[in-house]
Amino acid sequence: MTLQDPAKPPLLEMRKVGKDYRGVAALKDIDFDLRPGEVHAILGENGAGKSTLVKILSGAVTPTAGEIRLDGQPIQIASPALARRHGIAMVYQETSLVPTMTVAQNLYLGDERFYNRLRGIYIEAQQFLQSLNFPVDPTATVLSLGTAKRQMVEIARAVRLKAKVIIFDEPTATLTPEEKHHLFALIARLRADQVSIIFISHALEEALDISDRITILRDGAHIITADAKTFSRETIIRHMVGRSLTDELYGRAADGREPRRAGEKVLSVQNLSMQNVVRNTSFSIFAGQVAGVFGLVGSGRTETARIIAGVAKRDFFHGGDVRFEGRSVRYRTPRKAVGDGVVYVTEDRKGDGFFETMSIADNIHVGRMSSRDSRGLVASMSEARALAADWTKKLNIKALDGDSRVIELSGGNQQKVVIAKALVQKPRLIIFDEPTRGVDVGAIAEIHHLIGTLADEGLAVVVISSYLPEILSLSDRILISRQGRIVEELSPREATSEAVMFAAVY
Amino acid sequence: MIPFRQALDRWLGRGEASITMPPMDGAFRPNDSLDAAPAVLQTPAPDSLAITAQGLIVSSGRSLLRVDKAGGAPVASFDAEISALAGLPDGGAAAGLTDGRILFVGGRYGGKTIAARPQLQCITALAPAGDGTLLVANGSASNAPAEWKRDLMQKNASGTVWRLDPASGAATQLAGKLAYPNGLVDDGGSIVVSESWRSALTRISPGTGGRPAPVLESLPAYPGRLWRGADDAIWLALFAPRSQLVEFILSEDRYRRRMISDIDADHWVAPCLRAGRSPLEPTQQGGVKQLGVVKPWSPNRSYGLIARLDGAWRPTASLHSRANGRRHGVTSCLSFEGRLYFSAKGDGIVAACADQGPTP
Repeated sequence: MTLQDPAKPPLLEMRKVGKDYRGVAALKDIDFDLRPGEVHAILGENGAGKSTLVKILSGAVTPTAGEIRLDGQPIQIASPALARRHGIAMVYQETSLVPTMTVAQNLYLGDERFYNRLRGIYIEAQQFLQSLNFPVDPTATVLSLGTAKRQMVEIARAVRLKAKVIIFDEPTATLTPEEKHHLFALIARLRADQVSIIFISHALEEALDISDRITILRDGAHIITADAKTFSRETIIRHMVGRSLTDELYGRAADGREPRRAGEKVLSVQNLSMQNVVRNTSFSIFAGQVAGVFGLVGSGRTETARIIAGVAKRDFFHGGDVRFEGRSVRYRTPRKAVGDGVVYVTEDRKGDGFFETMSIADNIHVGRMSSRDSRGLVASMSEARALAADWTKKLNIKALDGDSRVIELSGGNQQKVVIAKALVQKPRLIIFDEPTRGVDVGAIAEIHHLIGTLADEGLAVVVISSYLPEILSLSDRILISRQGRIVEELSPREATSEAVMFAAVY
Repeated sequence: MIPFRQALDRWLGRGEASITMPPMDGAFRPNDSLDAAPAVLQTPAPDSLAITAQGLIVSSGRSLLRVDKAGGAPVASFDAEISALAGLPDGGAAAGLTDGRILFVGGRYGGKTIAARPQLQCITALAPAGDGTLLVANGSASNAPAEWKRDLMQKNASGTVWRLDPASGAATQLAGKLAYPNGLVDDGGSIVVSESWRSALTRISPGTGGRPAPVLESLPAYPGRLWRGADDAIWLALFAPRSQLVEFILSEDRYRRRMISDIDADHWVAPCLRAGRSPLEPTQQGGVKQLGVVKPWSPNRSYGLIARLDGAWRPTASLHSRANGRRHGVTSCLSFEGRLYFSAKGDGIVAACADQGPTP
C-alpha cells in the first residue's frame, strides 16, 4: 500500500549535490527527493555513491556542491547531531552501539537526565522494545548480543528519536527471515505514521517488495528514479551495472557446466567438535574444486572454518582431528595456518578483515607478513606499493592508488582488498566465508569469477554462503551443514534449492 | 619438542593419537549401488574372483565355481579351503589354500602343486606378474586367513609379499612387516599392496630394500583385493568398515586382551563381514529412519564397499551397500565383459553391475 501522496511537496530535497574526495568525484550532480511517508530505496553497485549520499544526509560527510532542503527550507547538515536535530536518523550497517553498556543504556545514550534511575530506564526500554516486537532483553549488555539483535537495538534507537527521516543502510544483511519479517512490519508502521524511509540494500527483491520508489545510482551519478512497480529485478540490474548480469552471476545451473573433477585430498576434517557449536563433523576438501558449504545461521559452518584456520580452538578432549595434506594439524594461531597455506577470508571484513585506517598497500603488505615469503619485520615500502599495485590491477580494485585508505573504498572493493590480502599469502586451501555479503552485483560477478579461477588453478576452495543461488552456481560439491555437522553432500547435478534446503532444515 | 608433544598427544588422545575416522565423502559418498546390482550367483561365502579360459570363476569354501547364468557349475574342488585365487595369462588359475599350498588349475601349470612353506601359511591374495611369476601376499605370520579378526585385534604387522616361480617353486620375499597384505597388483616395475590394518595402499619397489611407500592412505574401510581393469582403472574391494568404536578398542590393550581370551570371536567388538545375525552381537540391534533411509544408531560392523581408483591411485567413485543393505563383506571384485562382478562374502552373493561406477 502506498500512503505517500505524489502531489504533496517533498519532505527532503537534494539538488545538484556533489562530493569530491581528493579530486575524485564520489557524487556528481545528484537530484533526489523524499516524500512524506515514503519508502525510497537507493540501489547501486558498491562504489556507486549510495553510502556517500546517505552520509551527507546524516551529517557524517559534508557535500562539496549542491543544496539540501527540508520542508522546503534550505538546511546545512554539518554534523550527525545536527542531522538528528533536523529529524534525520541513520541506522548503520555496522552498529554504532557501545558494547559494554546495556541495551537500555544504549537506547537512552545522549538523552540522559541529571539523575537516572536504571530500573525506570529498563522498564521503559522493555515496553518500547515490546511495542516494536523486538525480542531483546534491555538489561543485556550489547557485547552479549548477536549481530541481528544489535541491529534491532540500532533500529529501536532511531525510532525512539521520533525521526522524520530514517535511513536504513543494509538493515537486513545480518537478519534471519523471521527478523526481516519483523523489520518490514516495523517499516510499514513507520510509513503509516508518515515517517519517510531511505532504504539501502543489495537484496533487490527486498527493495522491490517494500519500497514505493527506487533511485538507482551508478558511478556517482543519478541514473533513474521511478515507482518500484515499474521495475523488475532484471531492469534494476541493467540500470545498476549497464549490462545484464543475472546469467553471469547465478547461471551455472542453467548452462549445465560440468563440475570440476576432484584432485588430491587436501583437507580431511575428522570428528571435529567444539562445545555444542561444532558436533562431531567430518568432511574432506579436494584440490581443484569449489566446495560450497550451505547451512542456516548457527549451523556451525563459520566455527568449523575458524577452527581449521587456527582462529578458534576445538575441544581439548575428543575435539577430533584436522588433517591437512595428510598431516594432522592443530593450529593455535592463524599465522601457523597461513604458513602451511591455509587461509580463511572472514565474513566480518570490517571487524577482522582489514585495518580500516591503513592504506590498501599496507593492508596487503600485512597479509604478506604472515606468509611463508615474509621477511619478518623488514619491510620495503616500495615493494609493498608494487605489490599493492599488482593486486589492485589483478583484482580490479577501484581506488585512486595503493595509498588510498581502505575505509574510503566501497564494500565490494574492500572485500577485494581482503581477498588480495589472503591471496598474497599463496594459499593451497582458501576458505571464503560469505564472500559477497554486502557486495554489489558487479563485484559479486568479479569475485565469483575469481573463485572459479582459483579452483581452475588447482587450489582447494571452500565457499561458505547463506545465499543458496550463490552456492548452487559456484560449487562443484555442495556440503550441507545442520546443527554443527555436515549432514549431506550433493553434486551440482542433483542439487536443487528444495533438496539443499530440505537437508539444511530437517 | 616434537617427541614431547607427540607423547602428550598420545596421553591426551589427540592429534595423531585421536580416535577419528576418515569421512565417507567425495568419491566415497555413500550410495546404494551394490544393492541395486542383480545377483548372479548365490553360494556360501563366495570369496575370490578370477578370469580364466573357462570364464569367470569364484572360490567358495573348498570349491571353484563358474559364475554364469547356469548358476555355479563346479570347476574344481580341493581338500582344504581356498583363501586366494588368481587368473593367469595362459588361461589357467592359481589357488592358494588355507594350509599354505598353492595349486594350479588349467593352463600351462595345470595340476601342479607347490608345497606349503612355514613362511606362507596365510595366503590372502595372488596375482600374476608381468614376468610370468606369481605374486603372493601372506597376511600374517601367526594367524590363518579365517582368523583375520584375531590378527587385527592383536595389532599384528607380520605380513609378507613373495614372488614365486611356478616352474621351480622357488620363492623370494619382496617385503615384510606389512599390516595384513590382502590384495596386490603388478604396477609395471613395482607392486601395489593393500595393507588392511593400515587402511592404506603401499608400493613395493625394487631397490628400496622392501620398504613400502604409501600410495593411498586414510581409507574409511579395510582394503582387500585389487584388480586392474582393461581401461587402466583400479578396482579395490574394501571388506569391512572402520569405526571409532573399533579404533578405540584397538587403543585399549587390556580390554582387548581380555576380550580375545574370554569371548567368542563372533561377538568381539570388531569388524566382520556380516553383522546383525545374532542377538549376542554387540551394538548392532537397532536403527532409526532418517530421510527415508534406515540408519543404525550404533556403529556398523559390516558394510559393502568397492572403490574405483584412477591411474594416479586416487579414488574417483565408489559403490556401497549401507547398514541396511544386503551386499556386505565384499572381498573381491573385477571387471569382465563390460560388467563389474563382486563377491559379497558376508551375504553369500556374487552380483554384477555396470563397470563405470556411479558418478561422484
